[in-house]
Amino acid sequence: MPDSNAAAGIGRASSRAPLTLGLAMGRLLPKTSDSGLKTAHFRKPGIAAALLAPQLLILLFFFFIPSYKALSLAFVQVDPFGAKQIFVGFANFAQLLGSADYRQSVVFTLWFTIVQAVVTIVLALLFAFATDFIIRGRGIYKSVILMPYAIAPVISGVLWAFLFNPAVGPVAQFIHSLGIPWDPNRRPFDAQLLVVVASVWKHICYDYIFLVAALLAVPQSLIEAAKLDGARPVRRFFTISLPLITPTIFFLMVMNVVYGLFETFGIIDAVTRGGPAGATNSLVYKVYQDGFVQLNLGSSAAQSVILMIVAILFTILQFRALERRVNYQV
Amino acid sequence: MTIGFAIRNMPRAIARILATSLVAGAMALPAAAQDRVKVEWWFAHGGRLGEIVQELVTNFNNSQDKYQVVAVHKGNYEENMAAMVAAYRVGQQPTIIQAAERGFMTMLNSGAIVPVPELLEQQGHDVDWDDFIAPVSGFYLVDGVPAALPFNSSTPIFWYNRDKFKEAGFEAPGETWQEVEKQLYAIKEKGISNCSMALANDFFWSLIENYAAIHDQPYGTLANGFDGLGTEFIFNKSPLLVGQLERLSKWMDDGVLQLAGQGLAPEQLFTSGTCATYVASTAAHAAISSGAQFDWSAAFLPHEEGVEPKNSTIGGGGLWVLKGKSDDEYAGAAAFIDFIASPETQVWWSKQTGYVPVTNAAYDELKSEGYFEENPTREIAILQLTRGEPTESSRGFRFGNHNQSMQILVEEIQGVWTGQKSPQEALDNAARRGNEILRQYEQLHAGQ
Repeated sequence: MPDSNAAAGIGRASSRAPLTLGLAMGRLLPKTSDSGLKTAHFRKPGIAAALLAPQLLILLFFFFIPSYKALSLAFVQVDPFGAKQIFVGFANFAQLLGSADYRQSVVFTLWFTIVQAVVTIVLALLFAFATDFIIRGRGIYKSVILMPYAIAPVISGVLWAFLFNPAVGPVAQFIHSLGIPWDPNRRPFDAQLLVVVASVWKHICYDYIFLVAALLAVPQSLIEAAKLDGARPVRRFFTISLPLITPTIFFLMVMNVVYGLFETFGIIDAVTRGGPAGATNSLVYKVYQDGFVQLNLGSSAAQSVILMIVAILFTILQFRALERRVNYQV
Repeated sequence: MTIGFAIRNMPRAIARILATSLVAGAMALPAAAQDRVKVEWWFAHGGRLGEIVQELVTNFNNSQDKYQVVAVHKGNYEENMAAMVAAYRVGQQPTIIQAAERGFMTMLNSGAIVPVPELLEQQGHDVDWDDFIAPVSGFYLVDGVPAALPFNSSTPIFWYNRDKFKEAGFEAPGETWQEVEKQLYAIKEKGISNCSMALANDFFWSLIENYAAIHDQPYGTLANGFDGLGTEFIFNKSPLLVGQLERLSKWMDDGVLQLAGQGLAPEQLFTSGTCATYVASTAAHAAISSGAQFDWSAAFLPHEEGVEPKNSTIGGGGLWVLKGKSDDEYAGAAAFIDFIASPETQVWWSKQTGYVPVTNAAYDELKSEGYFEENPTREIAILQLTRGEPTESSRGFRFGNHNQSMQILVEEIQGVWTGQKSPQEALDNAARRGNEILRQYEQLHAGQ
């Protein structure tokens, strides 16, 4: 009974929706005479422009103007106050590409992003998969996993730094008691590990929400059929659920990479400040360090231009290469 | 009732700030009616020092009824500078900015400043610029007048936990690095303290730059940059400086010297009694005297055996006045600067913070009231700053974009801590990369 009620409700809503929408818009009419245009279009371009304006304004202020600024600064040497400026051509880029610390930053950023993205999605998948098998306290289980998302990156970063501080941190003391040397201040790998762990911890919840939702959307009929055929949960997961949620996984991989590349700034700033000896200096953190701490605006702008190009290329590549292997039909 | 409850349960520091701002707010109320001129000042002190700055401002605001200085904490020196630069570019700059001694050249050649003596003269204030103590005026004077008001001037001193020294059988720290080394190792080996020395975050200043000054080692050519923008870093060519870094590196490997790292302030390692010694600014007096629960004391920085030590150099900040503000704001800024430069404020400020009194008048007043006999550690900095005749290598540093080359030096030295680089390699790299920055600066500011 409840099922049929719900279905009727949806049916009613969907039959009414186009009509009300069309009336509200007033101008959104099916194609009649303007051949060459798509079936639904605005007859008065003014409305289209007005509807696009908020988004375009946001883009203007947060993308086009900053990009223009970055481009204009990337080819000059400038004093911080903007009073003096010398055109230097590609000197800022040449200096960057020739410097060992920039190359170190590129290498770290690459492996950090990949490791972080893969570990996050694998763990989130594991947690999402396990959700179904937790009968008691599922609410608590979910809340615990989701909690890190509510904590500001800088706060969690400070906590991580403190917990793992070799001088006073309780976790560090525990690691030492196991006989493992641990010192993120002096051992670059420890620092990199700490940053990876902190950023994975922060981001698992994001992947988890999407994966739980995606797994819920897997048709129950398929799973039941597999059950009847004697497939065990793990087998069902890999042969049925996983292929069906690849679009979500693909989307999450993109989001994880974007997160790793651009949004781990707060964590790095609080946990390691890019140290020791630049071991955790990611490209984005370096832009900030060089531009806003050291006030070397020319080099910083050149770095952001490189980052922008990388981001654009990467997005195109990722969609082109991976989209074909992903099944969007659920 | 609930408010009282909340205040009692708040940490003391917060309560104190709240109280201060309540008082300031109360004072501001009648002032607002009379339309006081607001003068914005961005400063860089956090913690206990930040509270003292707010008290200073409250004192000024209470001392007259025309101007109201609004002090805004924008973070540490670098963050303060970055915020100011960003604000300046869009015309939102404060009237007064506190900039570190490292930013001296950046500020001086910025084209964004109103020279403080000029401003004070225009506004009819009379400050005796000849009265600044020698190491301070030696640093701040350009063509006979200071480019900024030396506000908080300090120098590093050697802090130690007297209880731990006594326990190890020492009366006081040795005068030379060789003696100190033996003491630090003894403290560690006798199990008195697991950490003999905490490494300050600004160790590049206290243990490298000041080491160069005290041992008369040139840090850069052209009198450490005082004689022109063509200066080059040569600190990597001094065997003494390389030796100093080797010593620190060895101490760290042996667990004698401890890095605080992220999540912890090195000062806490000392004030909590974890580490037995700490080389840091004399301005740590504010935090150590209020935070340390043991018998602490301080001494002169150690020097090498058989060397006649020179003066150390100043650190800290100056107050710069920025262009593009109204006449009223300039009048307020001038009055505030006059207030700060007065011997009374200097004496108060020095007592509260541990910063050195920057004028002879203030120094003499502290001496005549017998302050230094009661608080001998307060005089160490000024005695160390004025020790001997300053040389070209001990007068201080004037390098363009010194902030950048300092960050590079720290990054390279971290390579020594991690074992990736030898001290010589690290200093060579730091000098080479630092020189690129000096050349960029020279290119941009040619003809100044």
